[in-house]
Amino acid sequence: MLETILVPQVGQDLTEAKIVALHVKLGDTVKRGDIVAEVESEKATFEVEAFAAGVVTSLPYKVGDLAPVLEPLVILENAREAKPATIANGKNGTPHRQLMASDSETISTEQPIVEFVSSNGSVRSSPLARRMAEANRLSIQNIVGTGPHRAVVFRDVEEALAKNRGQAHQLIAAALSNPRLAVKTLKNGVGTPVVFLHGFGGEIAAWRQLIMSMTLTNPMIAVDLPGHGASPLAAKSGFDGLVDEVAAALHSLGGEFHLVGHSLGAAIAVALSAQTGIVVKSLTLIAPAGLGATINGSFISGYLSARSEAALAAQMRRLVYDSKSIPASLVGATFAARQASNIVQTQGQIAENLFEGSTQLFSVRAELLNFKGPCRVILGRRDMIIPPAETEQALPANAALHRVEAGHMPFLEEATLVSRLIAQTVRSGE
Amino acid sequence: MREIMYRDALREAIDEEMARNPEVFIIGEGIADRGGSYKVTEGLLAKYGAKRVRDTPIAEAGMIGVGVGAAIAGSRPIVEILYVDFAMLGMDMIVNQAAKFRLMTGGEGRVPFVMRSQGGTGGGVAAQHSQSLEALFYAIPGLRVVMPSTPADAKGLLKYSLRQQDPVIFLEHKHLYMTKGLVPDGEHIVEFGIGDIKRTGKDVTMIAWSNMVPRTLEAAEALSKQGIEVEVIDPRTLVPLDKAMILKSVAKTKRVVIVQEAARRGGVASDIASIIQHDAFFDLDAPVEIVAGLDIPVPFNLSLEKASVPQTDDIVAAALRTLYVPVHLQAAE
Repeated sequence: MLETILVPQVGQDLTEAKIVALHVKLGDTVKRGDIVAEVESEKATFEVEAFAAGVVTSLPYKVGDLAPVLEPLVILENAREAKPATIANGKNGTPHRQLMASDSETISTEQPIVEFVSSNGSVRSSPLARRMAEANRLSIQNIVGTGPHRAVVFRDVEEALAKNRGQAHQLIAAALSNPRLAVKTLKNGVGTPVVFLHGFGGEIAAWRQLIMSMTLTNPMIAVDLPGHGASPLAAKSGFDGLVDEVAAALHSLGGEFHLVGHSLGAAIAVALSAQTGIVVKSLTLIAPAGLGATINGSFISGYLSARSEAALAAQMRRLVYDSKSIPASLVGATFAARQASNIVQTQGQIAENLFEGSTQLFSVRAELLNFKGPCRVILGRRDMIIPPAETEQALPANAALHRVEAGHMPFLEEATLVSRLIAQTVRSGE
Repeated sequence: MREIMYRDALREAIDEEMARNPEVFIIGEGIADRGGSYKVTEGLLAKYGAKRVRDTPIAEAGMIGVGVGAAIAGSRPIVEILYVDFAMLGMDMIVNQAAKFRLMTGGEGRVPFVMRSQGGTGGGVAAQHSQSLEALFYAIPGLRVVMPSTPADAKGLLKYSLRQQDPVIFLEHKHLYMTKGLVPDGEHIVEFGIGDIKRTGKDVTMIAWSNMVPRTLEAAEALSKQGIEVEVIDPRTLVPLDKAMILKSVAKTKRVVIVQEAARRGGVASDIASIIQHDAFFDLDAPVEIVAGLDIPVPFNLSLEKASVPQTDDIVAAALRTLYVPVHLQAAE
């Protein structure tokens, strides 16, 4: 359990305070009430008191630094956790809200010390704060409350969210300087970004045609899945490894997204909706994998083993209902990319971990069932890769199903319709 | 638009409806020759004659009985009760007859009865002339309860009262008769159940009616100087109540202060608070605050009278509580 001592608000309008003394160093043991630091405003010096006991594990600032107010100044780790105890107030018999740390009792380290709790042991919070925290997947226990009895109120959740966003912005810079997955902005815009995740064997470029018919004004971003396009293989194999890598890429972009996924990318989108720290406002799943059990194994092996451009073209035509939907240029570009790199071997390794013959080895049915936002599923009636009937049977009641006259690539064959369906889903999730 | 007084707006409504519908008549104490204690009915006797503008003895039970009976018989009576306190003499006719008749006749019988009266504190007229009794009528299904705060609302709501089919308790306020406001020219009707946003804001929703509306607007102005933007909702009719407007505003501001002049206990404010806590629970960032009169008979002494009902400072303090701003931190003006 970590306790954070914040840089105090030393004046009403001040945003920074100067650290003039630090009375603790890393590893020191601090008692409740100890003076740990002194900070200075324009007018006066303030002593900073420890309100909890513990061992100093982090000191982000040094003497002389200007620190933003209400940022962590000292982080303590409780070596021994004290058992929360409710002490009856002798006068009127109502329980004392403030819990006392007891030195004589040591209990499990999972037990947090909560300074102010309601009589049933939960953190006090306003109904709105609780709802907002849940919607943004923040743990209310980790938010510093500024309401009465230190209750967490709306402004505290807002501040926590702003802080998260600030961290996310810092992470973007980090991600851009050390890119792991290729991320490309397909269209600039305003609002919550729409992120496109391509299917097995695809890449960012697969979305170009669809993007041209999109009228949404949100920013649109696409990611090359690990081992696809310009992204290297995932550190961890299997479906979870793919999800983790994409989650890390999204973390670096911020906290909230609309996700549009095709096939394997759709399954990853569903899995992402269950990840903490990523808020998925809507899901558009195009011919999703991970719901039924079957995949066309002969297509996977045929696609991977095609050595001539003609064989590749024949395999790629299986992706669509109207073979004219696969332009020769796309086949040519895919063939050229395969000649120039070892992408076929890489994708072969991925396929081995995802599919066994004609069976999908991963499922996101449970995650989809738990997704509370708007979800649209677009299936091609003529899909020869993932049987649409099987997907349909696996859909939860809250998923809005739209069948189109297409194969496995409705976003190529019915780009205008699919772009409209995406726009509808995004808008209902805003 | 013309700027006229609340009492003139009421007179216009009665005058226009009497001219429009020969079934409309008005009875009350000193309303004919004298033109009414608050001058609402001045000039009507000369215009419509003693048959339709009729003085009565000081006998509220009889007056209300006449009104309810006339309404059942198909006429359109307005009964003016000088102080709402004295409507208590006619409560059986209102509660057991007027409010029930429609249901008990299977919808065949209607009671288009309008009781105009006035309540509230003001000027030290003591406990029997100062009450705000809307909660009594609010608690009786079958009655409409109307409490206008501005001349325009007074006119529009009274005209609508005289065109609809159910018993209306039309409660004016002794402090409002001389207040001025803009009233639209020509036909102006305000239907029941549609609240009015008297001021828009994003930080706190305040709900007030009758004379508490101007006081709440004063508080909103004071808060605005501290950077707090208050939305002031006047439901205008307590029955039917514009729940949708209230809930929409609460969803925006997340905080509510309800202001009523009537005593706190068993008041309409408590009922509105119960609606909000249920229907907007997860929109609330603070407990719903109620600023109300004290649970005492209104004192005669002017200072004590003032202390017994909400004042601007009380409303400001309640708003700051919903925002978790300690009152002692307020900037001194």
